[in-house]
Amino acid sequence: MAYDLEEQEQIDAIKAWWKQNGNTVLLSVAVFVAIVSGMQGWRYYQHQQTTQAAGLYENLQGAAEKHDAKGVREIAGQLMDRFPRTAYSPRAALQAAKSNYEAGDFKSAKAQLQWVMEQTKSEEIRDTARLQMAGVLLDEKNFTEALKLLESKHGSGFDALYNDLRGDVLLASGKSAEARASYKLALEKMDMASGYRSLVQLKLDGLGG
Amino acid sequence: MLEVIREHAQGKIAKIILALITVPFALWGVDSYFKQGGGGPVVAKVGEQEIHQNEFSRTLKEQQDRMRTSLGKSYDPAMMDSPEIRKSVLDGLVNQQILLAEAKQAGLAVSDAQLAKLIAGIEAFHVNGKFSHERYEAVLRQQNMTIGMFEHRVRQDVLMQMAQEGVSRNAFVPGSVADGMIRTLEQQREIGQAVIQIEQFMPQVKIEASAIKDYYEKHQDEFKLPEQARLEYIVLSAENLAAQVTVSDEEIAAYYKEHARQFGQAEERQASHILIGVAENASATEKAAAMDKARKVLQEVKKTPDNFAQLAKQYSQDSGSASQGGDLGYFGHGAMVKPFEDAVFKMNAGEISDLVQSNFGYHIIKLTAIKPAKLRSLQEAHAEIVQELKKEKGGKKFAENAENFGNLVYEQGDSLAPAAKQLGLKVEQSGWVSRMASDTPLLSNPKLLQAVFTEEVLKNKRNTEAVEVRPNTLVAARLLEYKPASIKPLEEVSSALSQRLQRQQASVLAVKWGKDALAQLQQGNTPAALNWTPSQLVNRTKPPAGLTPEVLMAAFKAKVDKLPTYSGVENNQGGYTLVRLSKLVDPGVQDEARKKAYIQQFSSMLEREYAAAYLASLKQNTKISISKEALEKSER
Repeated sequence: MAYDLEEQEQIDAIKAWWKQNGNTVLLSVAVFVAIVSGMQGWRYYQHQQTTQAAGLYENLQGAAEKHDAKGVREIAGQLMDRFPRTAYSPRAALQAAKSNYEAGDFKSAKAQLQWVMEQTKSEEIRDTARLQMAGVLLDEKNFTEALKLLESKHGSGFDALYNDLRGDVLLASGKSAEARASYKLALEKMDMASGYRSLVQLKLDGLGG
Repeated sequence: MLEVIREHAQGKIAKIILALITVPFALWGVDSYFKQGGGGPVVAKVGEQEIHQNEFSRTLKEQQDRMRTSLGKSYDPAMMDSPEIRKSVLDGLVNQQILLAEAKQAGLAVSDAQLAKLIAGIEAFHVNGKFSHERYEAVLRQQNMTIGMFEHRVRQDVLMQMAQEGVSRNAFVPGSVADGMIRTLEQQREIGQAVIQIEQFMPQVKIEASAIKDYYEKHQDEFKLPEQARLEYIVLSAENLAAQVTVSDEEIAAYYKEHARQFGQAEERQASHILIGVAENASATEKAAAMDKARKVLQEVKKTPDNFAQLAKQYSQDSGSASQGGDLGYFGHGAMVKPFEDAVFKMNAGEISDLVQSNFGYHIIKLTAIKPAKLRSLQEAHAEIVQELKKEKGGKKFAENAENFGNLVYEQGDSLAPAAKQLGLKVEQSGWVSRMASDTPLLSNPKLLQAVFTEEVLKNKRNTEAVEVRPNTLVAARLLEYKPASIKPLEEVSSALSQRLQRQQASVLAVKWGKDALAQLQQGNTPAALNWTPSQLVNRTKPPAGLTPEVLMAAFKAKVDKLPTYSGVENNQGGYTLVRLSKLVDPGVQDEARKKAYIQQFSSMLEREYAAAYLASLKQNTKISISKEALEKSER
């Protein structure tokens, strides 16, 4: 195939351009391919992690259904050790904390809640763990620490629950007037249709309205 | 320059460029390029996700269908399409999107194996206790769903649950808080009440005529009478037509012959049995053992057949009938499992069977009695057949004339007489009816009343269209007389109004008196003329007779620093009730089971609150926009 003059010129231009920039282009392509395959590799790794964690979490649910507290704690421990960065682990840790709390082992429950507060990427889960932690501290009569947690920053969706528990702590430490104010604030922040209102109201009534 | 590339697509550079374009497809798949939408305009945007009209309409319709099924007759389609309902349905969809996005972002997933296990566990898809693929497909087909759609939905449900409940379900109520709530709930209080009635204040109140007039003029709305109409109407109904038709003896005889089975009563038999149970999937040894045992029992039965009932009590593993001596009562064909039924209907009365095997195990059956099939004679069935035939003919005649009826009242719209004459109907007259109701049940139909209160009928004096007021019943009406909306004259309402005002003012006096008395009590004084009921112990959960919930609430809300303490509530007779709280009785030691039940209840309430907080918190961090139009626009 013969090229006319104009075409020949264009081809020469391309060749010249390639001579000058070819290495850069090839390098960019190589870098691009490296990044993409790296990302894919990372993704594959993550997928593997997620799949294994999901399997363990499923086992955890099975143990919970059978009221096998020991199984719950063991599997949760494995998830926390081996897959701390998956979304399953903080959920499993919360479950183990509840199980430990119910068995009267406050120390382990607190350790698990602390782990969740430090490890989870989710604000909502952190707010949940912090609330539960304050609840355990209340049972241990450590009112100062409990109040400190309840007065720290949290998502506004949790306002009602934080103020409710704050009322509980204040009441337990003998500050009825402040407890009443806190319960009232909880009711103010709570959805009008919520069933939990009746429990807050009950505590408020017990304080004389 | 691009032309060159195209012409020399085999060239080196072109290959690289093409490769660069194809790489993203290979790595990320095509579907992110052709994102599938739900169809229709966007009704809401949740973060990056869009909710489309089609999905919204479908969900709304599913919700309406559910409501229709559960409400039945009281279902009101207009209410179910109100902006409030539309908002709650759309809110639900938004919440789902939020939870799904969170699950996805967090990396939660549902494996195929997990999904399969879940679906296989759903009882609606079971046949004989096992998952059946045919059943699965059939049920979904009934719901107008493909397997793909259903599995997608289940997967989404599980993901949402994992994200939200996976957190909230782990909430627990601190033990000290639960104890406090139980103590409050179980505490008893000793209370008395003194009711101040309004009657004692009535004589003090004089209502002037001018006050009545004044109230009447300021509250005209209360005395409004709606517009009313008196109607004449004709009815075409299958029921009326059925009463008019005649039925010949030949027809009756033919019907009797054709429906012979309907007039017979099938044979029934009464039997007793002894069951030696063995599961269908039991091992061969277990089966053999059961059969062995059954044989032994059978021998015993054959030896002393009169002791059947006794032996059934002793050996039968069918707990329902064993206590009745094995008696199963009378039953017809189709009531028992096949092998059992076959045996029973081959036996003679009094006979005892050999071993009969069914999927329950081995049966020894004794046939106690036979009620032979019976046929009713033509005489006996006569009345029933006449009625049936009349109903058939009436329905047929109604179907033949319905269209004609509609045409006649429409085409000759200035009178009902032609339609009445041609179809042999009677023109009837109603009492006063309003837009809302009528004393005649036939006319008390919203669609008909709506048709009456239109300009066409009221002003232009036309017939209404034919309205089907109930199945197989058509009514057309026209106006006889009209009364526009009015206001009841003062003379008519004056005496009732005077009484009402008197009570109102007496109530003001009673409440004021009560509040004064309360203030005195709270200062430690004893106002005269208070009629206290004897003190009684009450608890929060079971209010005793004679105490209103308001009184109870006041007693349980009272400040208790110092006893006795007094409070007061306006009662629902318009008077005032004083409440005296004199003693608190704390509950004793709780029994564990009761305590556990309380804690369970508190926990589940707390879990729901945690779930709400979790969602609310996610919502705070998501950008949500909702189309106002979608909420207001009706589907119809």
